[in-house]
Amino acid sequence: MRLRVVSPFAVLAWLFFPAIFTVVGLYVLSGPGTATPQLAYAILGGGLLGYWDIAYLDGGMSIQNERWSGTLEQIFAVPTPLWVIILGKVCGSLLWGLLSFLPTIAIAYLGFHALLPHVDAARFTISFAILSLSFLAVAVMLTPLFTLWRWALPMLNGFEMGFYILCGFMFPVTLLPTWAQGAGALLAPTWAIRAIYASTTNQGPHDFGIWWGATVGLTVIYVIGALFLYRLIERRARISGGLALA
Amino acid sequence: MVAIFARSTYLQYVALFQWATIRGYVGYKVLLPVTQILFFVQLGVFGSGRSKALYFALGNALQVTAQAGIYGVIATVANERQHGTLPMLLASPANRLVTFLSRAAVNVIDGIVTVVVGLSITVVVFGLDLRHANLLLLAFCVVLISMTTAGLGLLFGALGLITRDAITIANVVYYLLLILCGINFPITRLPGVVQAISYGLPLTRGVEAAREVAAGASLRQISGLLAGELLVGIAYALCGYGVFRLLEAYSRRGGLQEAF
Repeated sequence: MRLRVVSPFAVLAWLFFPAIFTVVGLYVLSGPGTATPQLAYAILGGGLLGYWDIAYLDGGMSIQNERWSGTLEQIFAVPTPLWVIILGKVCGSLLWGLLSFLPTIAIAYLGFHALLPHVDAARFTISFAILSLSFLAVAVMLTPLFTLWRWALPMLNGFEMGFYILCGFMFPVTLLPTWAQGAGALLAPTWAIRAIYASTTNQGPHDFGIWWGATVGLTVIYVIGALFLYRLIERRARISGGLALA
Repeated sequence: MVAIFARSTYLQYVALFQWATIRGYVGYKVLLPVTQILFFVQLGVFGSGRSKALYFALGNALQVTAQAGIYGVIATVANERQHGTLPMLLASPANRLVTFLSRAAVNVIDGIVTVVVGLSITVVVFGLDLRHANLLLLAFCVVLISMTTAGLGLLFGALGLITRDAITIANVVYYLLLILCGINFPITRLPGVVQAISYGLPLTRGVEAAREVAAGASLRQISGLLAGELLVGIAYALCGYGVFRLLEAYSRRGGLQEAF
């Protein structure tokens, strides 16, 4: 957390990017006669994007920074398990990511006089907590990839907006082609985000139990996958000896 | 002079253009622009309906030229610093104008390739109709916008001489263009002062011209917009060169070239 306070990229991620996406979202989704639920996608969408970006990339970036600073090999050599170190980094990222909702709500209110529609507080809170859990699992699973493969950063960074599409951060996934909806259904955040938006409107399906269950189920699968991945990476890193390569 | 320019352009590509590996290139130059276009087109379809898909596709496809023009150009100066070669570059007797422009040349070509790939995929995915468009004229708009955004990149790239956070600046400039240049909504919806800023930026007139071309406009109908776009680009490139020379002297005095 302390490192992030002085990092310009961390500030961009929680303040600047969410603000930009919120402004674009509000202009695009707030034309004359726009339905209130669409506004929720603009206001919450920008914050969710920022939250996801930080969870998804910041942990990986911190590993890349360890590599560039020449400390990555030491991290592997210390007695503390790698997953504990990464979990700490990711938890810090998630806490930092929560700030993303401040600029989006402020811009929506002060710049566009737009407020969040009525929110079912209990369902929203549960959905958000489950979403955070899924972000944590995704980040913990993806971050070790950065330790092993230097190309993981450009590939995952490059597909950042692909996740925005597949998870339905700023529009419903039901608008996507069937094959894309299928791909999105494999991502835990997709279901939690659906639940979050459903908690801001009385319209449409409200299958919260199914959505929460799908998110938690996929999250558990990610965690199991991560266990195997960590073992593989600890072994491969020692064999390849490429940790110090910048 | 031409030989120096060509050699400098080539070396700048192989040495500093960090997307030179296939995976890096695919990540940053294929996945990122294509998904950006698809995301905003889908957002636009959600907000305004499928009939407006072409509006969003063209705007965002042309905006991704700025990815090469701004990130690429700014990153080359920033990378010289990171690799520790900036003091040597500034100590060399090489012609600054040639050195500086050669840094933009690859990015202009790269920006054009990015738009062609991104727009082609979007046209297929959303079934966009470009039958009324003069494709040659549209291609000219793409080339022009790639050059004008590189002009803006040159201006901000010069800041890399005195700051370690040039890439942060690149991010800010690139994403602000999404709001200021009429990429996803008409700039007439922006407050008056902001509209004035919009017309002082590259992309704004170029995107407007490209949209008119897609709707069937002729060269004569959009010549004013293209001339304005060109003038804005030249102004930024000249300004960038001036700022580069100014900051070069400033960074030498303060020993800022080696700050890392």
